[in-house]
Amino acid sequence: MFNVRLFALFLLTAAVATAQPVKAPAPQKAPAEKAAKGAGGMIGKSVGVGSTRVKGPPVNPADISALSGADLELAAKSAETLGANPGAAAKDALLEALALGLPPEVAAPAIRALALHPESLDVPTLVHYANHLNPSVRDAAITALGAYTQKEAQDKIIERIGDSVQIVRATASMTAAKAKIKAAIEPMMVLLARGEEGPAHALAAMADPDLARKIAEQLGKVPDATLAMCLGEILVRADFGPDTARVEVVRAIGKIQDPSAVHALVDYLNATPKTDKSTAHTEAQGIVTARGGQ
Amino acid sequence: MKRALLLALAVTAAACGPKSVFRLSADENNAYALKETLAKRQLPGNPAPVNLQGSPRVFVLAAGSPKTLIAYDLAAQSVMWKVDADVQSRIFVGGDFIIEVEGKQVVARDQARGTPRWKVDLGGEFIGAAADRERAYVVVKDGSEYTLSGYDGGNGKRLWHDSAAGQLGAPGAHGGVVYVPFLSQWLSILDGKTGAQLTRVRGLDDQISTLRVTSTVAYYGSKRGMFRLDERSASGKRDQSSYATVEIPSQLERTTYNRDAYDPIQQGYTAADRARVLWASEPTTEGPMKLTGDGYAIHYFRYVLGFDSKGEMRWAYSNPRVELVASEDTDTVIAAIAQNGEVVALDRSTGGVLTRMSIGGAAQVLGATFDADGWRPSGQPEKLDQTAALVAIARDHDARFERVKELAVVALARQQGTDSTKELLAILSDDRAPVRLKDTVVQLLVQRRDPASLPILVEQLAVHDDAIAQTQTETLGAVAKAIAGLAETSVNSVDARHALAALEYHLEAPSTGIADLVLVMDAMTAVGGGEQKAPLESHLLLYHADDDRGGDPAWQKAIVSAIATHPTPVDRAVLRYVQADPRSKGGLAQQIQQALPAD
Repeated sequence: MFNVRLFALFLLTAAVATAQPVKAPAPQKAPAEKAAKGAGGMIGKSVGVGSTRVKGPPVNPADISALSGADLELAAKSAETLGANPGAAAKDALLEALALGLPPEVAAPAIRALALHPESLDVPTLVHYANHLNPSVRDAAITALGAYTQKEAQDKIIERIGDSVQIVRATASMTAAKAKIKAAIEPMMVLLARGEEGPAHALAAMADPDLARKIAEQLGKVPDATLAMCLGEILVRADFGPDTARVEVVRAIGKIQDPSAVHALVDYLNATPKTDKSTAHTEAQGIVTARGGQ
Repeated sequence: MKRALLLALAVTAAACGPKSVFRLSADENNAYALKETLAKRQLPGNPAPVNLQGSPRVFVLAAGSPKTLIAYDLAAQSVMWKVDADVQSRIFVGGDFIIEVEGKQVVARDQARGTPRWKVDLGGEFIGAAADRERAYVVVKDGSEYTLSGYDGGNGKRLWHDSAAGQLGAPGAHGGVVYVPFLSQWLSILDGKTGAQLTRVRGLDDQISTLRVTSTVAYYGSKRGMFRLDERSASGKRDQSSYATVEIPSQLERTTYNRDAYDPIQQGYTAADRARVLWASEPTTEGPMKLTGDGYAIHYFRYVLGFDSKGEMRWAYSNPRVELVASEDTDTVIAAIAQNGEVVALDRSTGGVLTRMSIGGAAQVLGATFDADGWRPSGQPEKLDQTAALVAIARDHDARFERVKELAVVALARQQGTDSTKELLAILSDDRAPVRLKDTVVQLLVQRRDPASLPILVEQLAVHDDAIAQTQTETLGAVAKAIAGLAETSVNSVDARHALAALEYHLEAPSTGIADLVLVMDAMTAVGGGEQKAPLESHLLLYHADDDRGGDPAWQKAIVSAIATHPTPVDRAVLRYVQADPRSKGGLAQQIQQALPAD
C-alpha cells in the first residue's frame, strides 16, 4: 500500500472525524508529524521518519495555498519557493500537496523542489509520481529519486529504464549512472545493444575499467556508431584511467570500422594536450592517422 | 427455378413420349410396395465391405500426370496395386471390380489387380454412377435426356437402360437395387437386374437431392436433413419417418450431409468431401432417426469433431499438418485419409485414434472411396487429449479456418480446470491469432466465471510493458474483464489478494490506457472486497486535476463508481474533496454528484 495514499487518506479522514466541511486541507494544520501520530505511527514508520528534521525559516501560508490553487503558474512558482526553504514545514507542504494530487504543470516543479533537500520520507511520494502518466512528471520524479539511496528509490529508477518512452528511459539511465546503481548496468546494456543513445551516455558516464572492457566486448552486438560514441565518451572522461585502461578503450574503438570510431578518437585527441605522451594518446593518434582522420 | 423448368419440361415430355419408369404420375409412397422392395434387397446382416472378399479397402486417387489409382487393403495394411490412370470421377466399388470415368469412357477395373476389365462409352455427360456386388449403374445426360443404365460388373454388358426427360441425380446401389433421385422430388428404387422400378418414394415436405448408400442402409434427403430408408419412408413426411437433422455449428457452414446428387462436379472428388456430416443409425419403428451412439461427427477439412445428439461437442480430432480429403463412418469407426496418404481410424464415441497407417508414395491424395463398412482395427483407441486437440485447432495459423477456431475456443471454454484457461489466454497473447477470435476468447473468459481460473489470470497480469524485456500487456484488458466477471463468485481470499496486488500495478502503470484502466478498476472492485478502495482513491487524487486521465469521461465514470460503491466515510470524504477542488477536471464533480447525491 502506498504511503502517499495513506497520508492523503489520513488527512481526509481527519477532516471527517473532526466534522469539518470537506475541502482541501490546510497543510499547516495537518503536518506530516501529526499524520504519523494520528495513524498510530504507521505512516511515519513506513516513510522512514526518524531523522532529525530542519526547522528552517518560517513558511509563508500564501505559498502553501497557492501551491494547491487553480493558478498553475503561481502554484509552480510557490513550489519553487517552498523548495528553497530547507525547513520541515516547507517539505510537509510540498508532500501534502503532492499526496492530494497536483496537475502535471505543478507536480514537476514540486517534485524538483522536494528533492532539493532530500529526506527519506520523500521517497514513497516520488516513487508514486515516477509512475505518472505524464512523461515530464515521471522524468522529474526519476531524476529526483537519484538523490536518494533507499532501495525503493533505486528499484524504481531501474524499472523506469524499461519505460515505454525513450526520453524517460534516457533520464532513468542517466540518473542510475549518476547514482552509480550497478544493478542498472544490465538493462542499460540491453538498450545499448539496440542502439539507444541515452543508456550509451549513461554507461559511459559510470564506466570503470571493468565496465569499459565489458562494453568494448559488445563489438558486433551493438551498432557501431553507438558503441564508438559510448567508448569515446569514456575515453574523454578526465577521471577515467589508468592509461592501460584507456589504451584498451582506444584499441576497442580502433576495431570499429564505422567512421564514427575515428570521430571518437579525434574527440579524444582534441580533449587532451598535444604533448600527451601516454600510450593511449599515441595509439589513438596512430589509428586516426592510419585511417586518414587527421 | 432451373429445376422447376425441368419439371415443366418433364411434364410435357411425359405426356408425349413413350412409357418410362421415370414418370410424373406413378405409384409412389406405397407402403406395401416399399416393404416388398426393402425385403428384396440382399444386404449383409451387419455392415460389411461390398467387395467379395469382405476385406476393408480404400481406393485412392493421387495427383500426377497421369494420376495414380491405388487400392489399399486396410486390414493387411498393404498396397494391393497401383496403376496410372487419368481418372476424372470418383471411384465406385463393386464386388470384384471398381468403376470410374476416364476420358469419355466408363472404365471397370479388376479389383484384385487394377487392370482394365471393360470399358463403355459414356455417350453423354457423366452425371453419376454406383455399383453393387454384381453390377454397375451409370447415369448420363445427352441433350435433355437422362439415361440410367445397368451393366454387368463382370463383362460390361449393358443389361438395361431407362431414360428420363426429367433430371436424374447420381445413383446409389446395394444388394441388387439401385436408387435414383428424380426431379429433386422422388427417390426411384429400381431392380438392379432388370431396371424395373420397384417403387418410389416422394418427399412431401422436403426435396430429395442427396443420397448416401452404405452396405446396409440407404439415406436420402437434402441439405436440411436425412431420412433413413425404411418402411416409414412411405409417409413421405419428415415427422412420420426415420428422419434426422443434426446441429451443424454455424462455424462449419460448408458442411453437408453428403454430396448433391444433382451436381455432376461433386461426382468427382471435391472440397465437398472434406466438409461432411458422418453418421450411422439404428433401425427404429417410431420417432426420428436413431443415431448410433447418440451422436455424429463432422469432418471439416483437417478436423473431425464429435457431437452428441444435442449438438454439444464431445471430442475433437485435429489431423497433423494436412487436410483429410475423404472420410467415412463405417458404422464402427470413422475412417479418413489425409492428403499425404495417411489413413486414420477414429473411435466413434471418443475420437481416439485406433490406428494410423500410410499408403506410401509422395503424391498428393486427391480423394478416396472407402469400402470398409464394419471395419474396426483391433486394440484400444489412444486416449484423446481433448484440450490439446482443441488448442491445436484454435492456434492453427491457417486463415481458412478462423471460424472453426471460434468453435474450438467455445469448446475449450466449456472445459473445467485451469489448463483451458491458460490456453485461452495463450491465444490472446498470440500475435497471429485473428482479432475476431480474440474477441470470442474474451467473451468466453468473461462468461466462464470460474473462480479456480483466477491464479492463471493473475499470472497473465505479471506481464508488464517493459522496453527491456520487450513485453507488452496486450491481454490486460481481456484478463481484467475476465476477473471482473468473477464478481460475486467464491474467489479464494489469497487468490483475491494476489489479484488485487497485480491489478494495482497496472492501475498505476503509466502505460495502461484508459480502456484497459476502466476494466482494471472493474476487476479490482470484483475481487477487492473493499481493499481496492485505497489504491483507487490514491489514483483519483493523483489524476483528478490531470488533463489526460482526469478529463476523460470514461475514466471519471469508472473511478467514481468504483469508489462510490458501498461508500465508507473515507470514500465519501475523498470524493467530496475532489468534487470541491476547483482544479478537478470538468465532469468529475458531476459524476460524483450523481454517484453520491446526498450524504
